[in-house]
Amino acid sequence: MTMKLIREIWQSIVRRDPLSTEKGKAELVFLNVWLHIHPAKVKRENLRFTHTFYLGFITFFLFVILVVTGILLMCYYRPDPSLAYQDMKDLQFAVFMGPFLRAAHRWAAHGMVICVFLHMLRVFYTGSYKRPRQFNWVVGVLLFLTTLGLSFTGYLLPWDQLAFWAITVGTNIGGYAPVVGPMVREILLGGHTVGEAALVRFYVLHVAVLPSFLILLCVVHFWRIRKDGGLSRPLWKLKSAPPEPEPELVTIGAPAASAPLRMQAASREKTYGLMEVVTGKPIFETILPEEEEDSVFSYPYAFLRESIAMLVTLIGVMAVSLVVHAPLEELANPAKTPNPAKAPWYFLGLQELVSHSAFLGGVVAPAVMVLALLAIPYLDRNPSRQLAKRKWILAIFTVFVVANVALIIIGTFFRGPGWALVPPWVHVAGGTE
Amino acid sequence: MMNRRAFLSWGTAGTAALVSAVGVSCGALLRFLVPSVFYEPPQSFKIGMPADFSYGSPTLLPDEKIFVFRDRDKGFSVVSAVCPHLGCTVTHAADQKFHCPCHGSIFNANGTVQHGPSPRALEWYEVALARDGQLVVNKDKVVPPANRLMV
Repeated sequence: MTMKLIREIWQSIVRRDPLSTEKGKAELVFLNVWLHIHPAKVKRENLRFTHTFYLGFITFFLFVILVVTGILLMCYYRPDPSLAYQDMKDLQFAVFMGPFLRAAHRWAAHGMVICVFLHMLRVFYTGSYKRPRQFNWVVGVLLFLTTLGLSFTGYLLPWDQLAFWAITVGTNIGGYAPVVGPMVREILLGGHTVGEAALVRFYVLHVAVLPSFLILLCVVHFWRIRKDGGLSRPLWKLKSAPPEPEPELVTIGAPAASAPLRMQAASREKTYGLMEVVTGKPIFETILPEEEEDSVFSYPYAFLRESIAMLVTLIGVMAVSLVVHAPLEELANPAKTPNPAKAPWYFLGLQELVSHSAFLGGVVAPAVMVLALLAIPYLDRNPSRQLAKRKWILAIFTVFVVANVALIIIGTFFRGPGWALVPPWVHVAGGTE
Repeated sequence: MMNRRAFLSWGTAGTAALVSAVGVSCGALLRFLVPSVFYEPPQSFKIGMPADFSYGSPTLLPDEKIFVFRDRDKGFSVVSAVCPHLGCTVTHAADQKFHCPCHGSIFNANGTVQHGPSPRALEWYEVALARDGQLVVNKDKVVPPANRLMV
């Protein structure tokens, strides 16, 4: 009796066949709202770690960690200059597990910036932004910018010296944008200096506006992965495979005039889905029958690997957070600029440029960089994904990446008081005042 | 039945109405984000009696972010301590120059840029005497460095 009720409840939730059957394995994926973002079957080689390094997945999981730790931190944090720093001190010394959660939030955020960057490198070097995935690269660039926005807005919230002056420098860089710069700065700060209004606005952006935007973009990004034909084939597969044959498409029933396809009579034995009767050529790759043997069920192969990636990410963030606390400096003091005053590290390349010319370095260069990133899939007309056939664009992109990383390294380690060049060990030895 | 002329006129009018309604709404929302009242320190404020300031090296008022100079022959002058580059607070060094800690801008004694990325000179503000004998600084009135107040 009890067993029957339990079984009935279970079956009302889970309607699939047992997982020992192939049908059950497939149904686990497409009858589940959370899992159906995966295809029921995936190509075996796409699961190889060295193809994607699971970077996109890890980035998203870091975002999940950030949402959870962020909501917990919100329970103690009040966005007001007279209270914010006090709450940080409470989190640091009075709240149970406060330092750990704060550190986890901080380090996961830094990890997310790094992983987005590495993910973009992977996608670029494997040529995965090429047709039909051009638009998903654009969505990815927007996700990258949103991630930077989230990091930047989060930086102000502790209201310590580091936060205050990093945001003062950062918003002043924005103020150099032509025409809209001063207005954007005023709307962002809710005033003319970094103060009460700025703190509330950055808080709203950080906990509501930007996370919602990021989730919306993620939805589009993940959806497009599926609709653009799943993950791109690994490069080593391209080399061995013969040139991709133009797939022969069959139109069932009456073909449209524009569909130059062989016509086949509809069968009475089969129920056709909409996809099968609409005419026209699908833009995405599908699993061809001869590839069928090369593919495996997402359960358990993909899910197991993703679980391992999740676990490693979680352990990594927890381990770092146990050992290294998130920094908290003195209470923000608008009257005393620390020397040197540095923006967050991912903006130090920008600050390095700004230190040479505010307009060229702070506005023109970043605008050109973002536009160039967005335009990559449309400017690169070369259809080949093989490294040997993409020498020019690889060289240009590599120079671009190395230059950016070099600027960040210079800004972080080689700039001391008065933005003078210093040897990097000064920061370790505490040579600055 | 609507003829072509009517269709086009109504279509144009309708589109124009829609576009302007959306435009006005967006403009209003944007305006909402710009505060009508700024709860910020006033731009014009008293800084104390002339006798409070010593001759020679300037006095930094940290909250107002200004340096007050008092010269025996030329009188009072006030200069902004905010670097026009990215908003850091400059220091006044023994060489009579202003140094910015953030990006190394150096301003000479009258505030003009001598070195570094600052696009503009430091601003000098009008200083006057209030009725009660206190000095009044007005940050909205930028004056040439040569302007002094003899007391």
